[in-house]
Amino acid sequence: MRKGLDLLYTASGGVAAVCLFMIAVTIVAQIAGRLVGVTIDSTESGGFFLAGATFMGMAYTLKTGGHVRVSLLVSRFRGRAALLSDIWICAFAMVGCGFLTWHTFLMTHDSWRFGDLSPGLLAVPFWIPQSVMLTGLAILTIAFADELVLAMRNRTPGYARPRDGALEGAEEAE
Amino acid sequence: MEILTITGILGLILLALLAGGLWIGITLAAAGYVAIAVFSPAPAGSLMATTLWDNSWNWALTALPLFVWMGEILVRSRLSEDMFSGLAPWLDRLPGRLLHVNIVGCGVMAAVAGSSAVTCATVGRMSLPELQRRGYSEDMAIGTLAGSGTLGLLIPPSIMMIVYGISAQQSISRLFIAGVIPGLLIMGLFMGYVMVWSAFNRKSVPPADDALPILEKLRRSRRLIPIILLIAMVIGSIYGGYATPTEAATLGVFGALGLAWITSALSWRSFVDSLMAAMRTSCMITAIILGAAFLSVGMAFLGIPLKLAAWVAELGLSPMLLLLLLTLIYIVLGCFLEGASMIVLTTSVALPMVVSAGFDPIWFGIYLIIVVEMAQLTPPVGFNLFVLHGMSGRDMWTVTKASAPFFGLLVLGVLLLTLMPGLATFLPTLMLSR
Repeated sequence: MRKGLDLLYTASGGVAAVCLFMIAVTIVAQIAGRLVGVTIDSTESGGFFLAGATFMGMAYTLKTGGHVRVSLLVSRFRGRAALLSDIWICAFAMVGCGFLTWHTFLMTHDSWRFGDLSPGLLAVPFWIPQSVMLTGLAILTIAFADELVLAMRNRTPGYARPRDGALEGAEEAE
Repeated sequence: MEILTITGILGLILLALLAGGLWIGITLAAAGYVAIAVFSPAPAGSLMATTLWDNSWNWALTALPLFVWMGEILVRSRLSEDMFSGLAPWLDRLPGRLLHVNIVGCGVMAAVAGSSAVTCATVGRMSLPELQRRGYSEDMAIGTLAGSGTLGLLIPPSIMMIVYGISAQQSISRLFIAGVIPGLLIMGLFMGYVMVWSAFNRKSVPPADDALPILEKLRRSRRLIPIILLIAMVIGSIYGGYATPTEAATLGVFGALGLAWITSALSWRSFVDSLMAAMRTSCMITAIILGAAFLSVGMAFLGIPLKLAAWVAELGLSPMLLLLLLTLIYIVLGCFLEGASMIVLTTSVALPMVVSAGFDPIWFGIYLIIVVEMAQLTPPVGFNLFVLHGMSGRDMWTVTKASAPFFGLLVLGVLLLTLMPGLATFLPTLMLSR
């Protein structure tokens, strides 16, 4: 179970990284197209890959402690108070994210039912990139549930593990 | 209900969730949800899904992950060593000597990394031990590094400017170009301070190394020069109107990959690492931007920004007083929020007030970014202070004290920018006339 979940986060993180790479590829295609006089508009494809990179990367970023929060106050809690505060944020985030996932499903379903197309040259059916958002949010909800279970069993959740990183925002108040 | 009461309630909810340790993106979205679900008849759930979706494939935002990736690639090459050995021979003769390596190094690094903690850490990893070995004043070594690290936010391409441009709906190209002069100005202030300081503290500045012939100097900076050229190309292509920020960023990514490949710093491992790190950072920032986008929609539904702007206008504050008040609020906010969150959280509320007081939104962006820079130097949550506290092993108090003069210089910078708005607005007008 643990291994399967970790594999899920890493795989979705991998998909997100590929999406990021694809943003660069579509833009190179656009520049190259301009040089040879072919119109390639990467506004949509670049945007959709960006959405993919964002939503598919959510769970991985959470589990590796990438998402910022203000831990000035809660980091002073010890014992029971610390446990309760961890449980409360995980539960809140899980419910909120689950709710958002449900509404994203409704939105994607509507796009599919009405056959909404993206407004640019590509005219992609909106439900395709939207399902990537849906998948990413569903995995994020699972990750929050996972963190909640870890916190309740008194293990260290992924977001709270110490990490290296001189990345802006990745480090927090001690 | 009175709109100010609603604003107050929303503010309290935000504060409670933030203090409770909830992730910032989720906090912002939750406050937006409350604004719509409780105080308006609109369907909050489906609005949330569509707002997040609409904002997530924003074309202008694609520049962000690409610039982050460019920085990640370059940081993973041997930039830290190259920066010191490449700059030291050139700056050794200035009064204050190698302390200038910190400032200029951070200036160059700022253009590469676009984030102040990375800037600080990359330059300091090499220069702190070197300066210590040669016997430079430790306070100055730490202070210059903490101060100049903040340049990462201001010198383009800057991640914070993309964040501001997205939330304020301003042209990212113009913001980038507007940041050039203020960035150089602040670098100049820092360098001037070091020179003046060294005139009064001659004993704390060790003698220069032997002078090197020009060819040897060039040889030592041979790995640094291509990086500077790459940056010049990226910024130049935006300034000249040849490329959008996203295209320039793509150029930067492939240029950085090429440089890393030539210097054989590129392996499959480092490629994947840089990509994953960039994805993680951009995901973190985008999550905050999306949360804030939904909160802005919620507030716009209730007409809060306009009401607040009208309310502030009724108070009859002079524009300068308004600016002073905002600055104080930002410095307080900066004590517990990091830069991107501060910008997205406040832009939708502050911008209408500022614009109605007659300030230019591009100018305000640059102003805001310098104020956020100051916030990186204020305890208890000053990211540069943390980085240097970790790297130097000195306690927070020592680091804060060493950085205090540079905080003062940033205040001076803001003051100059306010008295001479042209510092920020002049270059972008040249751009438009093309």
